[in-house]
Amino acid sequence: MTPPPWFRRFAFAFGIAFAALYVVAVKLDLALFTVYPSIRVVLLGTHHSRDYVGPSMGSFMPAMYWYGWTATAALGALIVGIGAAFLPERWSQPFWSGWLWVIPVAAMIGCVYLTLPWFRL
Amino acid sequence: MDTALLIIHGLVAVALLGAITHQTIAAWVPSRGRRGSFVGRFRAVTPGSFATAIVVLYSVSALLGAVLYLSFRVQIRPDLERAGHWPALGVFDLKEHFVSIGLAMLPAYWVCWRQQRTDEPSRTPAALTLILAFIVWWSFLIGHVLNNIMGFGR
Repeated sequence: MTPPPWFRRFAFAFGIAFAALYVVAVKLDLALFTVYPSIRVVLLGTHHSRDYVGPSMGSFMPAMYWYGWTATAALGALIVGIGAAFLPERWSQPFWSGWLWVIPVAAMIGCVYLTLPWFRL
Repeated sequence: MDTALLIIHGLVAVALLGAITHQTIAAWVPSRGRRGSFVGRFRAVTPGSFATAIVVLYSVSALLGAVLYLSFRVQIRPDLERAGHWPALGVFDLKEHFVSIGLAMLPAYWVCWRQQRTDEPSRTPAALTLILAFIVWWSFLIGHVLNNIMGFGR
């Protein structure tokens, strides 16, 4: 089965846009929603604990942002991908397919950089 | 329940590890001569034939990992924090980041292997396979290391 051209444009744009947007979402802490697994609550947007008196309380009600960051990047990439799917075929001709792996590798390096503080603790 | 899910997650990951490693070797060092040896036959497979299976296995493994991550955050991570395993938590965070990026690469990866043009030879499918192989190996090893430090069912 050969995928149709519109799906090819969607898939390429989605993969590249997601990788770029994911690093931005992590860096700027743009989670579409925040998950509190211990109390089974999901709140729209990014929420951080304001409990400065008892920071250890964070262990009892941890917040999770990974799902939200992924959703933010996926939503943005979906919009970019749908836009690319509607583009005329001739507009995608000059596209260098190497961007498909260059951008994700750059995003992974970006994630390593953003994770470095863990190794300095 | 978590232990059962973790075992299924591990089994799916093993299947994925085998498929992606096979495809990576076949894509980067294809067999051109004798195919009699084990290594020769390992390299002689058609790499594109693994694409759909890898997409399915990666998606299932990521989904199971995402479900288990909820329990990990509540039951295990606080203890790891109290014990000061910061580098272990750092590499686990990287695993999550890499898995997300890899998940979004799957549609493009699948398209690349499905419509490889003979008139337009490209290393892009092989490059995408190599990145996914790195992500899968990283995730497998880090998942195991963390489970060994402090796993479910203690």
